[in-house]
Amino acid sequence: MNFELNDTQRQLQDSVRRLLADHCSFDKRRAIAASADGRSAELWSRLAELGVTGLRVPEAHGGFGGRLEDLLPVLQACGAALVTEPVLASAVLGATALACAADAATAARLLPGVADGSRIVAWAHDEPGAHHAECWVETRAEARAGGWVLAGTKSTVLHGALAAQFVVSARVAGAPGDRGGRALFVVDAGAAGLRRRDFRLVDDTPASELQLEGVAAMPLGDPHDGAHATRAIETTLAAGTAAACADMLGAAEEAFRLSMDYLNVRQQFGRLIGANQALRHRAADMLVSLEMARSMAMAAAVAADRPGDEDSAADLARAKLVVGKHARLVCQHGVQCHGGIGMTEEYAVGHCLRRVHVLDHLFGDASAQAQRLAALAALA
Amino acid sequence: MDLDLSPAQRAFRDEVRAFIRDRLPADIRQRLRQGHPPRKEDTVAWQRILHERGWAAPHWPRAYGGAELGTMERLILLDEIYRAPAPLPQVFNVGMLGPVLLKYGTEAQRTFFMPKLARLDLWFCQGFSEPGSGSDLASLRTAARRDGDHYVVNGQKIWTTTAHLADWVFALVRTDSEARKQEGISFLLIDLKTPGITIRPIISIDGGHHLNEVFFDDVRVPVANLVGQENRGWDCAKFLLGNERTGIANVGLCRERLDYARELAARITQGGRPLSADPALQAEFAELDAEIRALEITNWRFLLTDGEQQRLPAFASVLKLKGTELQQALMALLARLDGLGGLERRADADTPRHGPLAPRYFYSRAGSIYGGTSEVQKDILAKAIVG
Repeated sequence: MNFELNDTQRQLQDSVRRLLADHCSFDKRRAIAASADGRSAELWSRLAELGVTGLRVPEAHGGFGGRLEDLLPVLQACGAALVTEPVLASAVLGATALACAADAATAARLLPGVADGSRIVAWAHDEPGAHHAECWVETRAEARAGGWVLAGTKSTVLHGALAAQFVVSARVAGAPGDRGGRALFVVDAGAAGLRRRDFRLVDDTPASELQLEGVAAMPLGDPHDGAHATRAIETTLAAGTAAACADMLGAAEEAFRLSMDYLNVRQQFGRLIGANQALRHRAADMLVSLEMARSMAMAAAVAADRPGDEDSAADLARAKLVVGKHARLVCQHGVQCHGGIGMTEEYAVGHCLRRVHVLDHLFGDASAQAQRLAALAALA
Repeated sequence: MDLDLSPAQRAFRDEVRAFIRDRLPADIRQRLRQGHPPRKEDTVAWQRILHERGWAAPHWPRAYGGAELGTMERLILLDEIYRAPAPLPQVFNVGMLGPVLLKYGTEAQRTFFMPKLARLDLWFCQGFSEPGSGSDLASLRTAARRDGDHYVVNGQKIWTTTAHLADWVFALVRTDSEARKQEGISFLLIDLKTPGITIRPIISIDGGHHLNEVFFDDVRVPVANLVGQENRGWDCAKFLLGNERTGIANVGLCRERLDYARELAARITQGGRPLSADPALQAEFAELDAEIRALEITNWRFLLTDGEQQRLPAFASVLKLKGTELQQALMALLARLDGLGGLERRADADTPRHGPLAPRYFYSRAGSIYGGTSEVQKDILAKAIVG
């Protein structure tokens, strides 16, 4: 067993932290979130210079072929700084989906741009009717003369407005909840029949809903090879789950840090509020939760690097459940420690709660993870 | 022991229910059902409708626009308003300032203000908290210096809910800086149009504007607007904070939010099945229902029984703690039920599918902060039992 970062991981984490301290301080982050795009092209290119965008891309296509384990410290730093760049959207989800599913020619066309950050590839998988149901895909794919076309709705597509391409899941056979019968396609952002509605999530992250009506799409691999698509979808969702855990851990760490600072400066009744046993015990509870979240964010990263086996599936579901729950507790306690100031937009701790709330819902919320674990236990 | 309403109380409940059914505008009901906070115009319109029956200020004397209702009738009325759902009568006017004026005000103050408070012709907000004085309210520093027949007020209030909608503020100010901190405080009524007042919005983590900072720069307030005696304002504040016990548990709000959760669970599908088909969710609803019933009966027991109030004078803290805990659990549950679709941030005018449930969840975290934090409530209870 080994729970330490290696030298490369530590150096990258330090560099990312320094970059974010300079370019994504809370004040700068607020200005970025309030801008028209809701993100900063400059910050993105600096993250790309550090190699963040290429971590998940195979070396053959200009990346580092990295494991989720390498991404954990980076996403932790992004979560702590409340970054609104498409790290999860493109560098994790887009890159993983393409790396798993694309044939050599498509990979060679798209992945180098993903690796250097110049191309954003978004992941369009969730659908309104799913509500965390695993495998739920109603979007249909049909073979027409001259190629494939898609019809359906994709919701909560992170950073859809920036994407040059979307990786879209669609069904070539079977009922909406079937595991088989799904395939992955690439859709160009400018394709005819594609309508995009852009909005922000409650944590300021840009996102979109896609309406596809007879949109031309290029299959990733053989669309009738259901096992190929299932493997790619599950690997991508596993990467997303581990990334969300790492990001939530970072946001919870920040809420914790801010709270401990506040307990040591705010005075009421002539003494530091941190001298009150009630708040000291709250701080201790927060630490316990944080350590649970830290362990399970690591477990998620390890499990995501071994997709497909049953132990990994269980650890991912456990991790998402535990990190979501405990990161939320840390943030809620954090708001409480601050009192009124914690309830304001001008202060970061409430933003940590909002970020955790969003990430807790992505890739299945705590009740969905509990259902998955129960189903896995029933199989065993 | 008897947990049933009397025939007269049942008849009153039916009367209230019919009144609300006939008179509550459908659009107001719809907005509140979706979880929007009531708009000012909604609260004003509805309070004026209630006022026709004296129900805007149900416990006040009829002479000032009230209905002289007893505690149980008030609870029934409040419960029906919450469950409709309809806007509550404006709490600063009706629950706080009105009773203070009845007890400490002059006849002139009562005659001038109370009918306007009941009809919501004037909207009051509460100027208590300051940047350095939250839980430790008595350390407040906003100063009022006597100058002839005026006070000159300087200082700052914070977390002033609805100040941006308000006409007046009732404020605690320091009139004697030499005295012990509770003994140099006075209770003033201040017209917000007076020169020298600046109101700045505080945007909260739900993205909404409920809170404000209010700055006072040489604001001249007639001495006639002093309530009670100079330097005895802490008595008014203690009375005010201890008086509003009927509305502290918010049982009806909990029931209404649980009703909406059940409604949503029947409407939202998870992979083709309604969420309400999930036995785990059904059990979660059932547990909340049981907790709400326990709070409801506890609320009745404390509020209707003198013996119980004497046994545990700090009972209001029990109601606040448990009520807040349940409201926060329900708001979190609603946000969770709304799933990914509920993560989308939209402008108020552009109503989300099921209402702004994630923002309401965020704002619900304030419940354990305002009106005495949960830590302060627990200290009060601990003092009562452990010493």
